[in-house]
Amino acid sequence: MADVYVENRRALLLRTQNVDGGWGYFPGKSSWLEPTAYAILALHGQGQSADSLARAWRLVESWQLPNGSWRAGSQVQDGTWVTALGLTLTSLMPSSDAARSKAVDALLRTDGAERCTKFRIMELLGLGHIEEDTSHAAWPWRPGTSSWIEPTVHSVIALKKAQALRPNLDVANRIREGEEMILSRRCADGGWNHGAPVALKIPIGSYPESTALGLLALQGRGKETGAPRELARRYYAITKSPLARAWLAIALRIWDEHPEFPVDNAPPPGDIMLAALQLLAHPEGNHDLFRTREIA
Amino acid sequence: MNRRNFIGLTAAVATGGYAALKTSELGKEQNVTDGPPGKSAVAVLKATSYSADLVQPMLEGVRACGLNVRGKRVLLKPNLVEFDSATCINTDARVIAAAYEVMEKLGAAEILIGEGPGHRRDTYDLASEAQYFASVPDFERRFTDLNRDDVRPVSGFAEEATFYFPQTALRADLIVSLAKMKTHHWAGATLSMKNLFGLVPGSVYGWPKNKLHYIGIAESIVALNAQFRNTFAIVDGIIGMEGNGPIQGRPKQAGVLVMGGDVAAVDATCCRIMGIDPEKVDYLRLASQLGHIRPDRIEQRGETIQEVHTRFELIGAFERLRLA
Repeated sequence: MADVYVENRRALLLRTQNVDGGWGYFPGKSSWLEPTAYAILALHGQGQSADSLARAWRLVESWQLPNGSWRAGSQVQDGTWVTALGLTLTSLMPSSDAARSKAVDALLRTDGAERCTKFRIMELLGLGHIEEDTSHAAWPWRPGTSSWIEPTVHSVIALKKAQALRPNLDVANRIREGEEMILSRRCADGGWNHGAPVALKIPIGSYPESTALGLLALQGRGKETGAPRELARRYYAITKSPLARAWLAIALRIWDEHPEFPVDNAPPPGDIMLAALQLLAHPEGNHDLFRTREIA
Repeated sequence: MNRRNFIGLTAAVATGGYAALKTSELGKEQNVTDGPPGKSAVAVLKATSYSADLVQPMLEGVRACGLNVRGKRVLLKPNLVEFDSATCINTDARVIAAAYEVMEKLGAAEILIGEGPGHRRDTYDLASEAQYFASVPDFERRFTDLNRDDVRPVSGFAEEATFYFPQTALRADLIVSLAKMKTHHWAGATLSMKNLFGLVPGSVYGWPKNKLHYIGIAESIVALNAQFRNTFAIVDGIIGMEGNGPIQGRPKQAGVLVMGGDVAAVDATCCRIMGIDPEKVDYLRLASQLGHIRPDRIEQRGETIQEVHTRFELIGAFERLRLA
């Protein structure tokens, strides 16, 4: 029997779905793809949510642009990092091969701008020195900007799911590149932050939520993730951030660990994305939807 | 591609720790302009501790600068970046609480609070760690995470065809930039003008808001302040940050609140208090199109700079910014 914690959050999601089928970050706000994607994942496979999910998916499908990328929300016209979330959903929801292929192509076309020729020339001319390893193709928040951890994590997960459906060498290569980029951006403490482990040669610490995300992308790479998993356990014990706790619980469960979940009958926060992630993170939640197969 | 474009691109990769920026190369081409006609009032008030009464000096300063908030919808925009109990990265909660009370006393119709941190996604947790929920009246109801607010497109921002901003910021009659007096390892200093980076929504531009770095840090600072001209600055210099700011520096007590309606003049005054020559700071030279940064065009109210001057340590690359 689902507990109050789960029921509260499920009820919040069902109650706050917008007329257009999506969810805002907060109740009564316009629909955005990010909270909508997590709500779909959180509610997936539950009988009473079927109609709700169908409406949500129709909206998400309508936001895919002709170039295969996805709009961030109802008020944003151009494609962004949420293309990765859209692609992940195509492996779960009824979707055409064409829509999935276009999304895969959009991700394969996207790379961090730090790898552009201009920067390479700048370095050669001594006008700047990039502190990070830029040899690996990864993903930015928006086209034309540098690559960072979170969009790369979601792109790697999405491509792994697409790869499981239709293997493709280019996709496999980009997955490996993305994983290597993530590994190259580890902080000195073993975890990840937004994607800058040093600035002006001074180490910057990791964040709990980014460490969890890094672990999600690196499923199957046990040898390289011992330190971050240990750090994730420590973070889970001490962090006060509900968002970080949710991502950490999801990541640890994916790594077959069983973090204790607190008994909490308090009303859910008025934060729809957080409520969806908390639902996913629950021991009975859909956290396995973030599970990916190892790429050969 | 000219030299300045080259340098701008370096900064784009550099920001957020990507690269060691050749700061000494930055923006020597931009001359300080005369700015708008007349002079700008900037109030400098002593405030030696966060436990002291901050409302009275803030009220004096705001009145000295002639700010009228009656009937206006005011958005208080603190600087909430990261939390580290060992240092002082963020605008102190008691400064926000005082600003809230001041705006209320002066007859603001509505007082909102909003921020969109550049790196961390859990804005509410940061706000909680920084004691904002505990110290600021009715914080939960008044606060908007600007990273996840609904947005509206505007045209003409920094030569971009379309740029998105949070509706809470666009609807405000007045934004009060409640900044922290800090050094900044890419921009030299971060004060009331750079604080507006937090108005750019992460939901569209990411964490960090890397698009701004590609536009150029100085250019983005000025473009944001041109977009939101309805801004009044109050800088928390009670305890600022020196050295490797804006996150990894050391606390530095300056014991002041600095405020005014000309944000460039406020930042220039803060720089002089910190021992930085504002005319050597790239973004302030650019900002001289918007406001005044020359001392003869700034009318100092309250304390003089000499009375409150506090030399902030700078990282090596920015020693060149020192006041002669």
